[in-house]
Amino acid sequence: MTLGQSHRSTGSLRNHAPRLLSGAAVLVAVASLLPAVYLLLREGFSYRLLAEQLSAPSTLPLVWNTIQLLVLVGLSCVILGVGLAVVVTRTNVVFPTMWVVLFTLPLGVPAFVGSYTWVAASYRLMPTSTFIYGLRGAWIVLTLALFPYVFLPTVVALRGLDPAQEEVARSLGDSTLRAFMKVTLPQLRVAIAGGSLIISLHLLAEYGALQMLRFETLTTAVVARATVLGSPEAARALAVLLAVGAVGVVALDRLLRGPSSSAKVGASVSRVSMQWRLGAIRWLLLAVCIAVVVLSLGVPLYATLLGLWGYVGSGGATVDWSLLVHSVANTARYGLLAAVGATVVALPVSMISVRYPGPVATLSERATWVAHALPGVIVALSLVYVSVRWAYPLYQTSYLLVIAYVIMFLPLAIAAQQVGVAQASSSLEEISRSLGDGPWRTFRRVTLPLLLPAAATGAVFVALDVGKELTTTLLLRPTGQHTLATALWSTTEGEVLDFTAAAPYGVALIIIGAIPATVLARRTLRS
Amino acid sequence: MSRSRTRGPRSLAALMLAVVVVASGCSSGSKGAGSDGTKSKSLVVYSGQHEDLTQALAAAFEKESGITLEVRSGDDAGLVNQIIEEGDRSKADVVLTEEPGPIAQLDAAGLLAKVDSSTLAKVDSRFSPKSGNWLAWAARVRVMLYNPNLISEDELPKSVLELSDPEWKGRFAYAPSGAFVTTVNYLIDSIGEDKTLEWLKGIKANGVNEQKNGKVRDSVEAGQHEFGLANHYYWYILAREKGGEDALQSRVHYVDGKDAGGLVLASGAGVLKSSKNQETAQQFMAWLADRDGGQQIVAKDTPQYPTVDGVTSSYDIRPLSELDPPEFDQGSLSEGAKAKELMVKAGLI
Repeated sequence: MTLGQSHRSTGSLRNHAPRLLSGAAVLVAVASLLPAVYLLLREGFSYRLLAEQLSAPSTLPLVWNTIQLLVLVGLSCVILGVGLAVVVTRTNVVFPTMWVVLFTLPLGVPAFVGSYTWVAASYRLMPTSTFIYGLRGAWIVLTLALFPYVFLPTVVALRGLDPAQEEVARSLGDSTLRAFMKVTLPQLRVAIAGGSLIISLHLLAEYGALQMLRFETLTTAVVARATVLGSPEAARALAVLLAVGAVGVVALDRLLRGPSSSAKVGASVSRVSMQWRLGAIRWLLLAVCIAVVVLSLGVPLYATLLGLWGYVGSGGATVDWSLLVHSVANTARYGLLAAVGATVVALPVSMISVRYPGPVATLSERATWVAHALPGVIVALSLVYVSVRWAYPLYQTSYLLVIAYVIMFLPLAIAAQQVGVAQASSSLEEISRSLGDGPWRTFRRVTLPLLLPAAATGAVFVALDVGKELTTTLLLRPTGQHTLATALWSTTEGEVLDFTAAAPYGVALIIIGAIPATVLARRTLRS
Repeated sequence: MSRSRTRGPRSLAALMLAVVVVASGCSSGSKGAGSDGTKSKSLVVYSGQHEDLTQALAAAFEKESGITLEVRSGDDAGLVNQIIEEGDRSKADVVLTEEPGPIAQLDAAGLLAKVDSSTLAKVDSRFSPKSGNWLAWAARVRVMLYNPNLISEDELPKSVLELSDPEWKGRFAYAPSGAFVTTVNYLIDSIGEDKTLEWLKGIKANGVNEQKNGKVRDSVEAGQHEFGLANHYYWYILAREKGGEDALQSRVHYVDGKDAGGLVLASGAGVLKSSKNQETAQQFMAWLADRDGGQQIVAKDTPQYPTVDGVTSSYDIRPLSELDPPEFDQGSLSEGAKAKELMVKAGLI
């Protein structure tokens, strides 16, 4: 090693990742690509079939629909998420803490339930209206469901920013707003990009809500081909297109973030930014906050409670308490196991991607996002196929189900951990090493404790998504086991949800989702 | 800061302990029935039917025979795809579907064993597949659901074939469900491929795709469309739930004259070839087709039709004998490659 090379060192102890670390990261990446590999290698796939699917007259409009949805929901989530984050952190709006909690709670409502409640409310309040259907409905409902993914990291970033820069800009004559736009907004880029990436991939994988709202995308077509048409080959071929879309989104995100994502956040900032003392506008903003809560939480609660009221009121109905308790316990158990599993497995990837940037790190980290964009039915069938052939004892056990959850929701853990690794300054590690501690001991005593809060945030994100998952759970759960989502699903007769017999499970699902969402909001406020 | 540093690892240890405790209780669901030998007195049933109905069947069968059914519920196509991916190592002994298409798909893949001929002989032979590899244990009929506030029953089209006519534009709802695929299949056989494609394009242009039969029902009931194409039982489920037919706005119209809009579709039951419990599974099939066994549950717990002569539904549905459906081989539905191709071509799916 010559001296000349050392200028490339940007604060880390070594340029090259330890073999063990990169080995582990690559292993995780490869494992997470399993569903995508299955699409290509499962017998029955051919490029001719793919070409056939691509050239079908219905495919192009579907691609266009998918892109429209991604752009519209993505943009409106960014505007809403950043706007609300600014309101709660920078203005003198009343009860900022309460708003953070309320703006996080939509994360606890599964999209297939949320969209149903909109349809139910629409039937009830405006029976003949079709306002809620198509692109418009999907845009509104999914924006209200997904904006917290931008809101939360933006709140964290805004609270962590050094106020001095904005003050300098203002002292140089810029107005408050202009200083914010010029100095602060660019520094939110990482938070916004991270949030929009999660939202885009969620949208690529979304099925239940879009079907309910009558908006057809590539994913609804994949699922329709697999389920209605019974053409799994066609479904898998079309899903390849989704995976390609995911790679595109992930690459675009890379570009948006720019080469260095080293915004100075967190630990070292001691001063809180000044608040804008607003006059009458304050009340307008308050009205906006209330409107967002009414739409994102009020509508689901209205339809669910109405159903519960009708169910309890109908007299003969009884709640199956043992099933309710059983499914609450399972939901909590699977959520906890998957959260811990994803957290552990995510560690090498988040470590290497922040500390040792390079092709291996980038590819490993980006690869884990692909499965997040595939519909649940594809992920589930790939695991059925693989486990039946090569890991039969695992098949239809809760272990395989948890593995599926980890594959699907791993990126949520990684994204959150990356923030923590970036904040855990590598110089502290160097001090530990210089005092004679080995890398493992350093990791355990220095890095891990510093990383823990961010890792916990990631774990909560994973647990939330596990609680909401339906399709994969139906196919992979041990026979006879229920989660709240499957119990809710199984009580619905006549294909569409109706919150009568399903109401108790719907209420339980919303309550149990509110717990981790509240934890998330509180963590955000403490950051 | 120093406090959190000491607390970190300890809470981590506590979490790990919790995980171990939780995980140890985890494998309880995997007690595989049927894998512990042929003497096993339980069967694994994959069911695409409503879970309540399947559980009612399981309870009644266990009471009579002492044999437990372990029910794995899902939707038809999900379960059928699952069985195909499982191949000859499927955990299922028996599969129950809502629609004939999916079970015919399993049959075509060579995964189903012959059903005992004495069992097949019990049910209405019109609904049995020619292959004899699955049992038509229940049936549903395609109907038009209409909203009398918007259209009267005698104004409804006489045949679904009329629906490609511009006259009906924007007035009806449909769902590209399994039953719809079956209808297309039947049309290809009866009016030919070209005319069927034209018809599909007309449906796409004129109708509103509500995605699911249940939503066809709900939207017609709400008055969004004059009428819609669906399976009969969705309406009767809603009627019973709301406390009677008079509580609903919409009504059921049975399509007569051997029209493609009035197809009767069988729900299928089959025994997997790979099952190690062939005898017990056939015993269940025989019970399912028995007038004093499974057919009683079908008659009591669901508005679907029992398929054994002399068993009548507890719901006020038009008797099977008074329907006038076209006849076709329910088992041929797996050869629906053309139907699928046409539906994709017409942009319906």
